[in-house]
Amino acid sequence: MTTQVSAKTSPNSLRNLLHILIGDWDRTQLSISFLLVALMAISPLFISSPYYMGIIILACLYAVIGISWNIVAGFTGQLLIAHIIFLAFGGYTTIVLLNTFRIMPWVGIPLGGVVAALAGWVIALITLRYGLKMDYFALFTIALLVALRTLFLKWDFVGGAVGMYLRLAEPSVPKMIFATKPPYLYIAISLLVFGILVQYQVYRSKMGKYLIAIREDEAAAAALGVNTSKYKTIAVMIGAALAGMSGGFYVMYVTFIDPTGVFNLGVNVEIIMAGPIIGGLGSLLGPILGALVNKPIAELVRGSLAESRSGISLIVYGLFLITSIMVMPKGLAGLCHSLYLRLYRPNKNIE
Amino acid sequence: MALLEVQNITKRFGGLVAVHEFNLTMDQGQIVALIGPNGAGKTTAFNVIAGYYKADGGKVLLNSREITNLRPDQICGLGLARTFQVVRPFAGISVLDNVMVGAYAHTSDVKIARAKAEEVLELLGLQRMTNQLAKGLPIAIRKRLEIARAVATDPQIMLLDEAMAGLRPMEADEVIGMVRKLSDKGIAILLVEHVMKVVMSLADRIIVLHHGEMIAEGEPADVVKNLQVIEAYLGEANNVTS
Repeated sequence: MTTQVSAKTSPNSLRNLLHILIGDWDRTQLSISFLLVALMAISPLFISSPYYMGIIILACLYAVIGISWNIVAGFTGQLLIAHIIFLAFGGYTTIVLLNTFRIMPWVGIPLGGVVAALAGWVIALITLRYGLKMDYFALFTIALLVALRTLFLKWDFVGGAVGMYLRLAEPSVPKMIFATKPPYLYIAISLLVFGILVQYQVYRSKMGKYLIAIREDEAAAAALGVNTSKYKTIAVMIGAALAGMSGGFYVMYVTFIDPTGVFNLGVNVEIIMAGPIIGGLGSLLGPILGALVNKPIAELVRGSLAESRSGISLIVYGLFLITSIMVMPKGLAGLCHSLYLRLYRPNKNIE
Repeated sequence: MALLEVQNITKRFGGLVAVHEFNLTMDQGQIVALIGPNGAGKTTAFNVIAGYYKADGGKVLLNSREITNLRPDQICGLGLARTFQVVRPFAGISVLDNVMVGAYAHTSDVKIARAKAEEVLELLGLQRMTNQLAKGLPIAIRKRLEIARAVATDPQIMLLDEAMAGLRPMEADEVIGMVRKLSDKGIAILLVEHVMKVVMSLADRIIVLHHGEMIAEGEPADVVKNLQVIEAYLGEANNVTS
C-alpha cells in the first residue's frame, strides 16, 4: 500500500467511500441494487407510457417477490416450489379486510404479510413434524397449492370462483387508489427497498450464515449447534411475510384476485422462480437483476407473438428460460461477480 | 467428577445390536481412543453420544447433566462437538465462513464470531486459506477444516471420527500435533481411529469394541498385549498400517 500522508486528504476519503460502496462483493451487490432502485425511481421522468410504466412497476414487485423466495430457496436451500401460496394469502387478506371490514390497505398489506407468515409457520411446523425434506417438501407445497385452490374456489366468503374485486372508487390516498401509475411505482419501490434491506440484514448476520450452512449440509450444521428446525421455520416465515406484503400490493394494483389466477403453478414459475434463477439464486443481487430482465422479456415475447398461434409465446419464453439456465448456471449475478473479481480485486489490507 | 459419562448405552438397528451396553468415562483434557474392526459400532456409539441416533437404552451425562437423546445442536451448545468420518465442509462458502458457523455457537455478534474463527484458523494453521472456497480444498485441509469448525464451538469435549484417515504420514503427524494442542488447552478428546500409530502416540486410554461389545479397556501398552484384542483386531490392523 502507498504511504498514508494524512487521513483527511481527498484521495483517502475517496478510497474510504469506495470501500464502503464496493469494498467487498456483498456491499457491491447492495450498491448496485440501490442504483437500480434509483433508476426505477426516476423512470417516470423519461417514460410516460402507462404500458411501460406498468412493466416497471411489476418488475419492481417481482423483485421483492424474488427476494422473498431467495431467502427460502436460495439461502436456506428449501424447495418451497409453491411459494405463490403466500402471495395469495397476503392478497386475499388485504382485499377481504378492505372490502368486508373497511380496513385500509396501508394496514391491510402489512397484515397480509402477518397472515402469510403465520401460514408459513404452519407449513414449516407440518413439514418438520413429518420430516419432509427436499423433493418431498417440494411436492407437499405443490399439493397444498392444489388443495388451497379447490378450497378457495368453493369458499364464498372470499368470492368463490369469481374471486374478489376492488370496489373502484374515486382516486383516494387512504384506499390506495390512484389515477396515474407513478404513485404505485413509489409504493412498489418502498417495498423493494424494504426487501433489499431485510435480505441484506439476514445475509450478513448470524442467521444468514446458519441458513447457508443448512443449505450446504444440514447434519453438519446441526453438529455445529445450528437448531435447523428453528432456522428453517424463521426463513420460511420471513420469505412468506415479504411475499404476503407483495401479494397485498399486487391486489391493490391489478384490482382483483381469483383462485385460478393465483393458485397457479404456471404463474408461480413466471413471477416467483424465473427471476431469481435467471438472476442467480442465493446471491443478493440475483432476484433484482432477474426480475428486471425476466419481466420485460416475458412482456416482449407475449406482445410480439400474441398475434401468432396461441401458445407460441409460452414456448419461446420457455426456451429463453432454459437457455439462460444452461448458459449461466450462476445467473446474471454470477457473471457480475466474475467481472467484479477481474476489475477490482479487493486488497487484503483493505479488508 | 467426570466430564463425560456414558452409561450402558445400547443401539439396535432392527435385529442387529450395533452397540451393546457401552460404558465410558472421560475427564478434562484426556485423550481416549475407540478402536475396533470395521462394523464394530464405533461410529454408532459416536452418533448416539452426539445425539444423531436415539439410544435404545442407557444414559449419557455431560458435566453430570443428562444429554441422552437431546438434539445434536443442543448437545453442541452444552460443550460436546463432533466431526464426521466423511468430511462435510459447507462447500459453497469460504473457509472463514465455515468456521464462523461454528463460532456463532455462543455469540450472535458478527465481530466476535469473526475474531474467534480467525483465532481458530490460526491455531490449526489454516490462516492462509481464509478466503478460499471450501469446495476445491485438498483432503488434508478439509479434514483440518472439519476439526477447526468443531473447535470454534468452544467444546469441552470433541469426538473425532477418523480425523486422520486418508492422510499421508506427514499430514497425519500435523493433525496429531493439533490434537495434542487441543488437549493441552483442556479439551477432552475421544478418537475413533484405525491408524494404530496415531492411537498409540496420542491416547491415554484405549477402548476396544468388537461386534458392539466392549472387549478391552486400558493403557495402550496393556491393550495391545491383550490376546482377545489381538484376535479380534490388531493382528490384521498391524499389517495394514505398517
